[in-house]
Amino acid sequence: MSRCTTMPRFAGFTIAGALAALALFGMAAVRADDSAFTSKAGLDAQSGSAIYGNICQGCHMPQGQGAVGAGHYPALAGDPKLISWEYAALTVLGGRNGMPSFALPPNQADETRAVHLSDAQIAEVVNYVRQHFGNHYKQRITADQVAALPHPAPEPAP
Amino acid sequence: MEFDSTSSGVSRRSLLRMIGTVAGSATMYQAMSSLGFAADSPYQGPIDLKGAPRGSSVLVLGAGVAGMTAAIELRDAGYQVQVLEYNSRAGGRNWTLRGGDRYTELGGLTQECRFDKDLYINPGPWRIPYHHRGILSYAKRLGVPLEPFFQVNYNAYLHSSKAFGGKPQRFREIKADYQGHVAELLAKATRQNELDAAVSTEDREKLLESLRHWGALDKDLRYTANDAVSARRGWKKKPSGGLSARPIPSEPMGLEHILSSGLWEGVSAGDEYDMQTSLFQPVGGMGRIGEAFGRELASLIRYNAKVVDIHQDEKQVTVTYEDSQSPGAMQKATADWCVCTIPLPILAQIPLKVGTPLASAIAAVPYASAVKVGLQFKRRFWEEDEHIYGGITYTDLPITNIGYPNTGYFRGGKGVLLGAYIWGLNAMEFTSMAPEERIAKALEYGSQIHPQYPTEFDNGMAVAWHRSPFTMGCFGMWSTASRAAHYDDLCRFDNRIVLAGEHASFLGGWQEGGVTSALDAIGRLHERAVAQGEKA
Repeated sequence: MSRCTTMPRFAGFTIAGALAALALFGMAAVRADDSAFTSKAGLDAQSGSAIYGNICQGCHMPQGQGAVGAGHYPALAGDPKLISWEYAALTVLGGRNGMPSFALPPNQADETRAVHLSDAQIAEVVNYVRQHFGNHYKQRITADQVAALPHPAPEPAP
Repeated sequence: MEFDSTSSGVSRRSLLRMIGTVAGSATMYQAMSSLGFAADSPYQGPIDLKGAPRGSSVLVLGAGVAGMTAAIELRDAGYQVQVLEYNSRAGGRNWTLRGGDRYTELGGLTQECRFDKDLYINPGPWRIPYHHRGILSYAKRLGVPLEPFFQVNYNAYLHSSKAFGGKPQRFREIKADYQGHVAELLAKATRQNELDAAVSTEDREKLLESLRHWGALDKDLRYTANDAVSARRGWKKKPSGGLSARPIPSEPMGLEHILSSGLWEGVSAGDEYDMQTSLFQPVGGMGRIGEAFGRELASLIRYNAKVVDIHQDEKQVTVTYEDSQSPGAMQKATADWCVCTIPLPILAQIPLKVGTPLASAIAAVPYASAVKVGLQFKRRFWEEDEHIYGGITYTDLPITNIGYPNTGYFRGGKGVLLGAYIWGLNAMEFTSMAPEERIAKALEYGSQIHPQYPTEFDNGMAVAWHRSPFTMGCFGMWSTASRAAHYDDLCRFDNRIVLAGEHASFLGGWQEGGVTSALDAIGRLHERAVAQGEKA
């Protein structure tokens, strides 16, 4: 885990190659949106399901069920707090209890290898989470509504 | 002579900037990693804690490197020490996976390690710079043998999927050609008097001589195919003995190819202070250090203890924990003081009786996303076919690294590579996959560098640190802003509780950060305890 020097990353991915590799394990399918490997700190994927499947489910798990170890990742399935879209969007914007912010200004994002999502992407993933995993909140939010919420402040000049 | 900023000639900095500009990037002399704090370890030898008040007790939370450093020293100083550890083993992120091990990640997916005897992967730390004197001193004290870790291997590869037709290039060729061409350009500029404003006449010849030496330039200050250049970058036909002995020089590649490939970025991989020769690894895997600590402290560590509440009052600290072998069974431990090394994402969720400054600091540090994949192959083809013995190949693919085992050379039989060491967004993407899918991806990408992968692959292990039940992330990621706002608060005592760990250091992600933060914390603990005097 010691820090490594890394080189710029580029997508070098082919579906055919993935299928061949996966065949080694007899696995039936690749993930739905497998083309999301990107070179940048920003995720190209725009749909809520792709954003969830490539980022969020790493911790919140594929069915939004969360997980428990020495600590826990909150389940999103049936989470009553999701009644508030503001709560959900603010959590993605600012982070919460160890969950990183996904809206850091670029200089801070670079420093912490954080991932930056646009307001539109945040709206999409919030909508996705609030309408899946047993959640049925009908109201869809827009990028403008996310934009109106407080975002992490840019770092003051030294 | 030396160039320095006070001389009337060129300043060293402006000279370097000029080289950078000539070569296409002014950034190449900066640290390659945006995160590289090349801070030296302040470790100055064993800590001296004389005069511990009789009967004083300390509860240490976490049996990782920081917690066990604190525990050993406090025990030796006469404190009554108890350690609570969530895992059923000692070491924390100091951890090695070997054949027969099982690992269940958050979400419940279990991997069984099927590596052959003596083969392993270190999911966490894997190298120790020579100047990390703290962790090295504990390895020595605990009788853990060390061996060299190779950061730089001139025969390993630099690889860009977008350059040289995707074909990996040998480090020595890129380095020699890059250096040689830059030296030639700078020599040309010097001879055309373009540096006259910056370099004195007296220094001019010395600069040219040094460039000839540095870049392996010929007498006309050109970088071109000849014996001297091949002695650096390798030969078309190597010198040998007998009638077929005569060498044939190799042909350098053009500067434009190197510049456009971006591979020059990998040339300075071993130039950072943290990566400079010598580096070490424990024989048998990094986990040997944690295991040795664990043996030393066997009678003091309570395993399978999940901390659920940390309380303090004027008299003592009380920690409530659950025996994870019998869920629901709550127990309490008390002590005068508490050294808490629980990783911050977990600590942020535990009810903790501390003031706002510390609580805010704990919640302010997200943990890095990182993934490591270990791949066992049926034979050591990187040695047998490609003559790569240890070291690292760097690639622009999401796997970023291929780490070759720095041990067991020429042994025959199977071998285990570090097949991926992934960060940032790509790490989140890999974390989102099931372990076998991560392994498949590492194989797919790695095959672009080593085409032997598909036929030689045997089995693998994939550890995504955000799925680690005992850390929920790889290590604390401070920004300049969050450090300014919270770092001191994180390290300060809150009455009877003090934090330690790599997150409470400027050596983030390094074991030395854990060691030095623990020593700093217990030094302050000892002062407080002594000031408070003996217990009634």
